Amino acid sequence: MKKVGIVLTSLLLVVGLVTGCGSTAPAATPTPSANGLSADVQAIKDRGVLKVGVKVDVPNFGYKDPKTEKVEGFEIDLANVISKKIIGTEKIETTAVTAKTRGPLLDSGSVDLVIATFTVTEVRKKSYNFSDAYFTDGVRLLVKKSSGIKSLKDLDGKKIGVAQSATSKKAIQEQANIVKAKVSFLEFSTYPEIKTALEAGRVDCFSVDGSILFGYLDDSTTILEDSFSPQDYGVASKKGNDGLAKVVNETIAELKTSGELDKMIQKWGLK
Amino acid sequence: MVGAFAWFKWEALFRDWAVFAEGLRTTISVTVLALTLALILGIVFGVLGTSQWTFARVISRIYVEFIQNTPLVIQVIFLYHGLPHMGVMLPVFAVGVLSVGVYHGAYIAEVVRAGINSIHRGQMEAALSQGFSFWGAMRHIILPQASRIVLPPLTNQAVNLIKNTSVLAIVAGGDLMYRADSWSSDNIYYGPAYVTVGLLYLLLCLPLATLTRHLERKSGVSS
Repeated sequence: MKKVGIVLTSLLLVVGLVTGCGSTAPAATPTPSANGLSADVQAIKDRGVLKVGVKVDVPNFGYKDPKTEKVEGFEIDLANVISKKIIGTEKIETTAVTAKTRGPLLDSGSVDLVIATFTVTEVRKKSYNFSDAYFTDGVRLLVKKSSGIKSLKDLDGKKIGVAQSATSKKAIQEQANIVKAKVSFLEFSTYPEIKTALEAGRVDCFSVDGSILFGYLDDSTTILEDSFSPQDYGVASKKGNDGLAKVVNETIAELKTSGELDKMIQKWGLK
Repeated sequence: MVGAFAWFKWEALFRDWAVFAEGLRTTISVTVLALTLALILGIVFGVLGTSQWTFARVISRIYVEFIQNTPLVIQVIFLYHGLPHMGVMLPVFAVGVLSVGVYHGAYIAEVVRAGINSIHRGQMEAALSQGFSFWGAMRHIILPQASRIVLPPLTNQAVNLIKNTSVLAIVAGGDLMYRADSWSSDNIYYGPAYVTVGLLYLLLCLPLATLTRHLERKSGVSS
């Protein structure tokens, strides 16, 4: 039976793919090299450039200026500080990520770190190393002024556009249950798409963490007073690259104690 | 080191199977309605494309060329984000049926046209000379013969249509692909999510593809 053979072979291939990649390789325990750096950090130092996944569509965090073609923002500055700590100079190579691509890019090793408004959750911690929070922000709601919506309660029966990374969805849902507003959610992969959907009237509200939302505020829209469920942003790295995670955490701790982190936040007008 | 396919991610997927079942349901309903629409459009415009009236041929040509030469994604975005600015707010389900149906209608029109052209024109002339109207001749003489030739490429179009419903994911269409995107971007268990969805699409398409091959053999199209 030639046919059965073909089917079986293809099944085997799929199973091989799934289990092959699924097998957990022996954890690369960071063995300190001569100068006290773990292997994963040393590799970055030897390469001479830190590869970072950043957002390019979030003003003030990671945003590619269409005029200068340069990616800049608070998170880019943070990446530079970490790069200085590891390599000695500010040498980073940025890769644009979305909520959908940041996980795979870390897993494949295409980037060393993801600093992309990445909210830390318990579930995600199982798959990646997250640093301590470098920024904390509440979920806010952006609506059209003409809609007359004043609070979450007014959103009863309305549609809310959120990004595909459902931490904001969960946060709003919990709050909506409390004020007894029935809301539904539509998820899009990028923030500009949600803004487009809001303008087209596809959604009645654009919701994401406040500081991101302020980048999309214009004359016809307004941000409601409601703010809930503070979200922690952490620097993500691959599980196993524990030495790198440690360096990142140390850097953030230093920035916090020196007050430098607050200065960086202020520089970009966040909060 | 946690693999992209670690077992606990699979467990989470099995726990949330209802999410994927819901997506599968949407994908199947969009497929059925879009396929119906595509067949109607395809047959009408396919027949128009072979008619003697230049005007009908031109209309058919414009439809086919316009749709075939613009990306489906643009068509979907136009219906979803563009039309509301002109005061037309189609529900996302309708956007899916309409965009995918019209898109594949254009391809099916070409398939139907080719099928009709493969029937010797003597058949049509004979039918007309016997007092058949144009549509009557089509209905009773030409289309039954053409359908045998057209069926294999037609089922092939159906397979493509199923796969193309996945563009709805970009406009929050609630289909299988959207559910996978949504579920996996929350917990970042993308490995199991996309493999499962891939297998579900395979499950939908493989029987149709097999049918195509069977029909091809029966009609003697393939050697």
